[in-house]
Amino acid sequence: MIQTKNLTKRYGKFTAVDGVNLNIPAGEIYGFLGPNGAGKTSTIMMLLGIVKPTAGEIRLFDEAYSPKRLDLRRRIGMVPEKHPTGMWTWMTAGEYLQMFADLFGLENSGKRIDYLLERVGLGEVKNKKFSEFSRGMLQKLSIVRALLHDPDILFLDEPISGLDPFGVKQIRDLILEENREGRTIFISSHILSEMEKVCHRVAIIFGGKLMAEDQMKTMLTTLAKDREIHVDLEELPADLPGKVKSLDFVQDATGQEKTLVVKVPKTGDYRKALSKFLIDQDLVPLSIQEKSLSLEEAFVTITKENIDMFARIGGEK
Amino acid sequence: MNQRAHATTVLARRRILETLISPGFYVAQTIGLVLAYFLVAGFVRAIDSSGFDYQLYPAYELIGRSLVGAFGATFVEKLFSEGPFLFTLYIAFLPVLLYLAVSSVFRFGLEKKVGALELLTYGPADSTSYFLAALIKDILMTAIYLVVLLVFLLVAGVLNNLILGPSFYYSLIILFFLSIAIYAYGIFASSLTDNSASAIAVFLGLILFFIIIMMGSFTIVSGYVRNLASVFAWIIKWISPLFYWDLALRVAEVGNWGMYFIGILLLLVLSTAVLLISHLTMKARGVRS
Repeated sequence: MIQTKNLTKRYGKFTAVDGVNLNIPAGEIYGFLGPNGAGKTSTIMMLLGIVKPTAGEIRLFDEAYSPKRLDLRRRIGMVPEKHPTGMWTWMTAGEYLQMFADLFGLENSGKRIDYLLERVGLGEVKNKKFSEFSRGMLQKLSIVRALLHDPDILFLDEPISGLDPFGVKQIRDLILEENREGRTIFISSHILSEMEKVCHRVAIIFGGKLMAEDQMKTMLTTLAKDREIHVDLEELPADLPGKVKSLDFVQDATGQEKTLVVKVPKTGDYRKALSKFLIDQDLVPLSIQEKSLSLEEAFVTITKENIDMFARIGGEK
Repeated sequence: MNQRAHATTVLARRRILETLISPGFYVAQTIGLVLAYFLVAGFVRAIDSSGFDYQLYPAYELIGRSLVGAFGATFVEKLFSEGPFLFTLYIAFLPVLLYLAVSSVFRFGLEKKVGALELLTYGPADSTSYFLAALIKDILMTAIYLVVLLVFLLVAGVLNNLILGPSFYYSLIILFFLSIAIYAYGIFASSLTDNSASAIAVFLGLILFFIIIMMGSFTIVSGYVRNLASVFAWIIKWISPLFYWDLALRVAEVGNWGMYFIGILLLLVLSTAVLLISHLTMKARGVRS
């Protein structure tokens, strides 16, 4: 659905995007992560045809893409991070959406606008001037605008930033629902806990380069230096961590109040063996959870390793 | 209808609606028509048994002296030879021309800065359909105002027993085409810049530059610099819409209508060339501020 080959953008001597290769199949929710200035926005802008690549190629819907391809552009929906302030302030939400529906030449646009507004919980404010909308309402309106023409790909740039928990859940549910209907979704966000909940695959971009790209679960497993098993017990005997350490698959064991924290190798499932050992010790495990690396930790691991590497290179010079 | 044409039509319709519901256009029209009223009324008061004498009416005396100082007595005589309407046409047209041109330039810069232009171009619209829509709006609003002004002056003529001479009509037509070229330069200024303030500064700077060239102010310097400036001015005048406007008026005065229409055609060619350059500039610079 979205393919890039050696996509590069330079601004003078500064390389914002450096040879990025993407291959996003249809129906995927793809998370695009990176710190500020990593090249996320430049990449999205090139994919949208707003910014011209310095080198490389883009293919959308299995066709070579250029900004001239208005037919391909109309199959894309985009939700920017912020709604333009101070523009079209005299319009109601309905009029604003109608303008974009007209732009796309949609038939029966009234019904579509009503349906989408209802879906994001803005049905009652259709006739309200959107200059009076809160940040969350504007974000939802922006998503409705991007979905008006039923695009095949939806780009979302920081879709939940600034939203309250209820708004975050609404947008998350909407993203998942849109994806279930077959829409390919490309999200750029720094709220990694949310990305973890919705994305099938994530990519981490840093310094314009794609540092990692994989399925969420695989990436987290690969990046984890070790794994932890957390066992909640009714009570934690003081000598238990020492006994657990004697097990051949245990790398380390500590106690945290009534929780036993056991470090084990990255491969293999040791929960059953650990559980058996604890029962043999006349202890009752209330719960056994394997704690994997969070996306946030993975992101920090990758970016920190690269920052350290760049610092080292700089130091050697 | 292809997608760009469709997007242009939709955007133009919106821009026209916005102009019609905002007070700015009406304020500019009112200023123009009030000026027209005072100029026609003042002209009537400056007529005695020997005919029109601008010194008989204080406001006209000030205007007359300024014009004589800038363009010479012959120019002023010619300007008022058919009555007050030619002069009134130019003065009453200026507020609307300036309002439409500057507001479009301002809006272009603003929409680029806040990301509204980018938002529009996420879909089937592009920067070309965006500025063509702005141009269509400005042309239509100009045509509406010129019709209003024509009716107003026709009524004023009937009431004061004055007629609108032929120079009024051919000036009115060329003024319409001149405004198209000025709007095109507004778009060009917008395409070069990233915000409203710099776009307006570039636009007004360009127009001022063209006025200076037309008035031949370069000749006030002397010697080698004067010669160099003259050559420079000669080259630059070809890109000035005021040159073609002046050319068309001069040939119309002597009844050379073929050249008059060529003047109009040249104004359209210039406008198209400026729009094309704007399109290429925008394509190279992008829609992001």
